[in-house]
Amino acid sequence: MNSFRLALRVLRVDRRTRTSAILTGLGVAVATGLVLLLVSLPFATEARGERSTWQEPSYGSGEGGRATLSLASSEDYANGQKITRVDVAPLTDPGSISLPPGVEKLPGPGEVLLSPELARLADGLPGSQLGERFGGDVVGTLGEDALKFPGQLVALVGHDANDMPVTAFEQNGFLLGGAEQDPLLQLLAGVGVVVLIVPSLVLVASSARLIAARRERRLAALRLAGATPQQVISMVAAETAIAAVGGALLGAAASPLLHMLATFVPWDGGTWQASDFQLPLGVAIPIVLLMPALVLLAAVLGLRRVMWTPLGATGSHQRKPLHWWRLLSLPLAGLFFAVVVSTAEDQLGMLLVLLGLALIIASAALVGPWVTSAIGGIFGRIWRRPSVLLAGRRLRDDPKGAYRASAGVVLAVFTGSMALTLMPSFESMAGSSSPFQDSVLYVPTDAARAERIVAETNATLERYGQRERAIGIGEVVLAKGENSGQQALVLDCERAEGLLRLDLRGACAGTPGIYSEYPMELNGVTVSAEWGTQGAPLPANTPVRPFEVTGEDMYSTAIIDPAVVPEGVSVSEVTVAVPTTPANREVVRTALAAAAGGAQIESREMRIGDQQTQLSDLRRVTVIGLVAAAVLSGCSAAIATAGSVMDRRRTFGALIAAGTPVRVLARALRTEAAMPALVATIGAGVVGVLVAIGLYSLVEEDASVVLTPWIAAPVVLGAGVAVLAASVCRPALNRVRAEPLADE
Amino acid sequence: MPTQTTHSPGPLATSTCPALSGRGLVKRYGAQYALAGVDIDIQPGEAVAIVGPSGSGKTSLLHVLAGILPADSGEVLLGGTRIDHLGEAKRSELRRTEFGFVFQSGMLVAELSAEENAALPLLLAGVSRGKALADARQWLERLGLAGKGARRPGELSGGEAQRVAIARALAHQPSVIFADEPTGALDTRTGRDTMNALLGAAAENGAAVVIVTHDRDLAESVPRMVTIRDGRIASGVTAS
Repeated sequence: MNSFRLALRVLRVDRRTRTSAILTGLGVAVATGLVLLLVSLPFATEARGERSTWQEPSYGSGEGGRATLSLASSEDYANGQKITRVDVAPLTDPGSISLPPGVEKLPGPGEVLLSPELARLADGLPGSQLGERFGGDVVGTLGEDALKFPGQLVALVGHDANDMPVTAFEQNGFLLGGAEQDPLLQLLAGVGVVVLIVPSLVLVASSARLIAARRERRLAALRLAGATPQQVISMVAAETAIAAVGGALLGAAASPLLHMLATFVPWDGGTWQASDFQLPLGVAIPIVLLMPALVLLAAVLGLRRVMWTPLGATGSHQRKPLHWWRLLSLPLAGLFFAVVVSTAEDQLGMLLVLLGLALIIASAALVGPWVTSAIGGIFGRIWRRPSVLLAGRRLRDDPKGAYRASAGVVLAVFTGSMALTLMPSFESMAGSSSPFQDSVLYVPTDAARAERIVAETNATLERYGQRERAIGIGEVVLAKGENSGQQALVLDCERAEGLLRLDLRGACAGTPGIYSEYPMELNGVTVSAEWGTQGAPLPANTPVRPFEVTGEDMYSTAIIDPAVVPEGVSVSEVTVAVPTTPANREVVRTALAAAAGGAQIESREMRIGDQQTQLSDLRRVTVIGLVAAAVLSGCSAAIATAGSVMDRRRTFGALIAAGTPVRVLARALRTEAAMPALVATIGAGVVGVLVAIGLYSLVEEDASVVLTPWIAAPVVLGAGVAVLAASVCRPALNRVRAEPLADE
Repeated sequence: MPTQTTHSPGPLATSTCPALSGRGLVKRYGAQYALAGVDIDIQPGEAVAIVGPSGSGKTSLLHVLAGILPADSGEVLLGGTRIDHLGEAKRSELRRTEFGFVFQSGMLVAELSAEENAALPLLLAGVSRGKALADARQWLERLGLAGKGARRPGELSGGEAQRVAIARALAHQPSVIFADEPTGALDTRTGRDTMNALLGAAAENGAAVVIVTHDRDLAESVPRMVTIRDGRIASGVTAS
């Protein structure tokens, strides 16, 4: 009988081996499915990008007289939803310009193509709130192939070349293809692979443990009967391969389902098309092959004892105590991490930081069992109840096995604590240096266009019956000598108070002057339109009045009243700004957008909103990852607990037969499973926070991290999962109680 | 001599009653009868060997008498009081307080020392750690295991491990000791020594002993031998 047939026979006749094989297969299936999904994420962003590169300018492609198209890309908002606006004007025969997939025609001046979702939104709102922003007739709809994600709001607006905004690029046709993968999602996918793969593999290891003792006895018997180590290896390989290969194929078959679920998770403003997650076969096939290969390797390595000495496996054996040096691995890894974090400057430094992170994670595998053994030792000394004695001795005897069950939980808690420390800290960094108040909409442009934009905007606002009015705010340079100076906004004091984040503290009551956050010495100061151009001196006795900024993140700016700007200084850069109220914001935006003709309309509120969207994406992905890791870890811990009962079925059976209450044994098993997990999760939480502090220092050297009570959530979740998983021992013991002295 | 452990007096108050009785015991596994109407009485302090071929029902009889398995019909009386209709929790308590068990391969807890294994029933009965360990130590000394209390089961010989199991069975002063093939894994001489140790210690303690064995030589060293075949008592011999 060959190894494969022998393995099939064992699976057929032995229920527990069959259960173990099914769980192993499920573990491999989950791991394979998750890896296929996680590895596909960067490819998915690339697929999205491939469809939407046409919405971006093609920098440099129009150089050397090859320009055929003028294109400006901007972002607009309606009801809090982001609209991508692409303004185009052909510079050559429109028919010669290749159109992106999903774009049926190049809109001419006064024509607009809208994405289906934007068309629906525009139809449902008054023209003054959205439709009139695009300044033309809707002549078609953009197809799905032209959209980054289903439901993207896109407007493709046609112009005459002379009407294009200042931000337009002259380029050689649309940019088609050449999208890159999202580096943030690449990083998150890498972290996700580690965080989710470890509990998946622990699940596989725990499943194998269900039959470890029985398999060792069977293989030892075969060895004693004359089987060579190679024959034993091939038997185990065949037994494991059936489960692992089956699991990998199941995982591959189920991955479309996972991909479908992933399409509902928004990222960067929208969801996904199912086809986005298709992996190149050159990547997918090696993953499907690698997963069972790893499981096979682990199974074969686990046979060392049987291979060396078959008697060793059949008889009892003393376990070696764990060396104290294991404990040093964490501080050493931490020290390495601290050093590389404090010195990281270039790409090599970042690689070393990642290495330090990996070393810290790896050190948990050394420290965890030692801590487990130490807990067992303490229990073994201080016990007063038999359950504590039983748990303590078990932990002391097999700390690696006991820790293995909680390894996945520990990693999930470590990553969770790290993420929940970093995220509020990143959120505290969110902001904008813009000097404008949150409710002000503004368009940076040039002096020539500004006058027209102001006039058209105000005419539209008048037509809409709004009181707010747009003004142009010029920018000048207050220079002192050749190398020193400061930018200043040309604005009268009262308007500055209404538009900017300043507290002028009554300074407007005096004669017009210069207003500054810091004391200024005006002697020798000249006013010029741009840096490096000849300036004109300020009028004599121009006063400097102080103000306070009301936003910490605002860049320092000065204000110069138009009355004191010397004659002959004509500004070239102008920002058109309009105050809004929550009630009329969309109407004012429509008026400004229609006049700006595709120039980017900015607002501080919008910038912060964008940052919040990114943070929400991160938070969502983190929560999904942690929940998945917690579920996987919980399953593996539960199986490990069940395996622990199976391992000692005869002993437990004898104890139950002799009248030991199941509750005493259940308490011992719960203590045995939950205590190391509890200590390890607390430790992992603390280390996660410390590592996060180190990582945050890479981003913000001087800022301190924001610690919220949420950092305790992963520890509580991890401990809860461990305790819940440990409670599996009760039904397992009840099965033993039903037939306490039956053979296994 | 170990001190008497504190447990409920139990139903053994009247010395005129048998320590343990089975009346019309029937136990079926599917269509197969393991016990087909067994009647048996075991007197206080009496040692009984139950013998019979494999599958004759001797282990089933031990399990039913000990309350490990419920009988399909019939009664089990401990000191004249029915115990077969008790719930699992009560039967567990009885097994913990009134009965002691010795299994074929000791079934000791591998992670605990010999002393802790022997103390386990006392600890489960709520006896303090210090007293339970002291009592267990004394039992081990009586059974010739002085100085070996700190050893783990894996560090003991088969005979030594069985004597630890006997100490564990006797430590809480039970009224009946059940031994299922207690010498099955031992050589003849060690088996005989172990059996003597069990019977001697039980007799000193006034405990009845029910031994299931397939070893006729061993059974003949026990004062009373009951043969069971096809789930029925085939014969009962009491040594003079």
